[in-house]
Amino acid sequence: MKTLRPRTLALVGGALLVLLAAPKLLPVYQLRLVTEAIIFALYAVSYNLLLGYAGLLSFGHAMFFGVGAFATAVALNHIAGLSLLSAMGLALLTTLLVGLTVGFLLLRVKGTPFSLLTLAFNALFLAIGVKWHTVTGGDDGLSLSAPKLHLGLGVLDPSNGPDIYYLTLVILGGALLFCWRFTRTAMGHSVLLLRENEERMRFLGYNTNVTRLILFVFTGVLAGLAGSFYTLLNAFVSLDAVSIDMTTKVLLMTYLGGTAAFLGPVLGAFFYTYVQDYLSNLTDNWPLIMGLIFIVMVLFAPGGLSGLGKDLAARLKRATTAD
Amino acid sequence: MSDLAVFFLHGLAYAGLLFLVSSGLTLVFGMMNVLNFAHASFYMLGAYFAMAIAVYTGQFWLTLAVAPLALLVIGAVVERFLLRKVHVLGHVHELLLTFGLAYIIQEGVKWIWGNNPQAINVSGLLASTVHLGGIVYPVYRLFIFALSALLGLGMALVIYKTRIGIIVRAAVNDSAMVNALGINVPYVFMGVFAVGAALSGLAGATAGPLLGVFPGMAGAILVDAFVVIVVGGMGSLGGAVLASFIIGQLQSFGVLLFPDFSLALIYMLMALVLVLKPEGLFGEKS
Repeated sequence: MKTLRPRTLALVGGALLVLLAAPKLLPVYQLRLVTEAIIFALYAVSYNLLLGYAGLLSFGHAMFFGVGAFATAVALNHIAGLSLLSAMGLALLTTLLVGLTVGFLLLRVKGTPFSLLTLAFNALFLAIGVKWHTVTGGDDGLSLSAPKLHLGLGVLDPSNGPDIYYLTLVILGGALLFCWRFTRTAMGHSVLLLRENEERMRFLGYNTNVTRLILFVFTGVLAGLAGSFYTLLNAFVSLDAVSIDMTTKVLLMTYLGGTAAFLGPVLGAFFYTYVQDYLSNLTDNWPLIMGLIFIVMVLFAPGGLSGLGKDLAARLKRATTAD
Repeated sequence: MSDLAVFFLHGLAYAGLLFLVSSGLTLVFGMMNVLNFAHASFYMLGAYFAMAIAVYTGQFWLTLAVAPLALLVIGAVVERFLLRKVHVLGHVHELLLTFGLAYIIQEGVKWIWGNNPQAINVSGLLASTVHLGGIVYPVYRLFIFALSALLGLGMALVIYKTRIGIIVRAAVNDSAMVNALGINVPYVFMGVFAVGAALSGLAGATAGPLLGVFPGMAGAILVDAFVVIVVGGMGSLGGAVLASFIIGQLQSFGVLLFPDFSLALIYMLMALVLVLKPEGLFGEKS
């Protein structure tokens, strides 16, 4: 692994300091927005491992997000005395099982049929959510009061803004780092191969079905983790978490941020969260504006915001060297 | 016994709508390998246009003529100026574009017409009922089935008996080869896309009086139409007919027999087809 340049180190260190100090600097509402953006950042990065890295366009990522979100609420509501971390563990286990089952059924299809079927499975999970009223609460959703998390040093209360922020920052930040590391492992590289030339990969002796299944399950569990935090942050979960809208959301975030860079979806998640916050104060039709931005990006800037940034940087560099 | 007949007829009416929507979808997919996520949005637009026309003119028959025409134009414009532009960027971008379009149409409809379900009223013969061997059945559902059956027959004639049909079928099979033979495939594709949009719009206009007009109607039929083309085989018109029939009946009898699990039946059928015959009932192995 190459050593980090001093400039990168300073940037990362500065960003970390700002993130750690955020609860002291920001009002309650703003802190909540940042927490939400971090949750969506993990959701979008997990999605981009499928879309940007493996070239698999899924329209069903919300099924994992939703299963993670609902499993957390159901576990905490039904098992007395369950600790926060065990509830999350259970939620992750549930998304793991869902990922294995759905992934196994989807192994045989690629390309467009894959996209179509992920959408159908998403619709199936939404239907389960609507119909299985006794467990999911149906259209009413589920509210919960999350237990406090007892650590050696003190107690974290998920209903307290700064506490849930730090919890999100540490666990989801850790998950994001893990994703970044993952893209640099042999497994991560084989995912790129899957996108570029699957046939050749098979000739080289890889079992591409196993790679695809592992990736599908891995990204699903990450989305489930994001969903679990979404439930904790809101102390409530509704069918919104497993709806097609939640899939659209992650797709828009990822694409707006740019699929070619690891940090693109993180950028997209923050962009989306803040633009939505701004627009929804102005008009109820903010999704329409978001959709128009998306279409314009698809037509004219397929690299997303990070792609535009790269272009701009390259142009500036050329301009300065030309002088 | 008569209950069964009623539900069978209900199933036929829904199958008719499904076929009108999925036939265009499957042909476009067969030709250009583009799955149009906005196809069901054309269906919804058809219903909303029909409602607007019915409100202003009070003429139901007029809606059945104007709504499909409007969608024909919209379909042609979408293909020519949007879809063709992203074609060079590859497959994922085409899907993303149609998905984004579906999203915009959805939100645009909410913006213009609001979230509340609305109704289209029909009058005269279509609003009446008939006696069929002991059961009383609404004429309108029979009308939907008859209309779609007629259009299905017309389509079959065009596709299997005319020169245009030969070109379309050949393009479904191997569009590069057809292009090489000197036929303007992008032009044919635009035509098929536009006609598919018009059929979908017609389906929406006829569905309006039966199912109501609301912003969720695109999503509701989209998944069913996708199941139809997966089960029937992508690109196969005959498959779309058979699968529409099966899924229409499953929907109808599912509600009668297992009211809580009628949706699950459709997914179970899809899962079954995927495991046993992933290319679909009439599909070709790739």
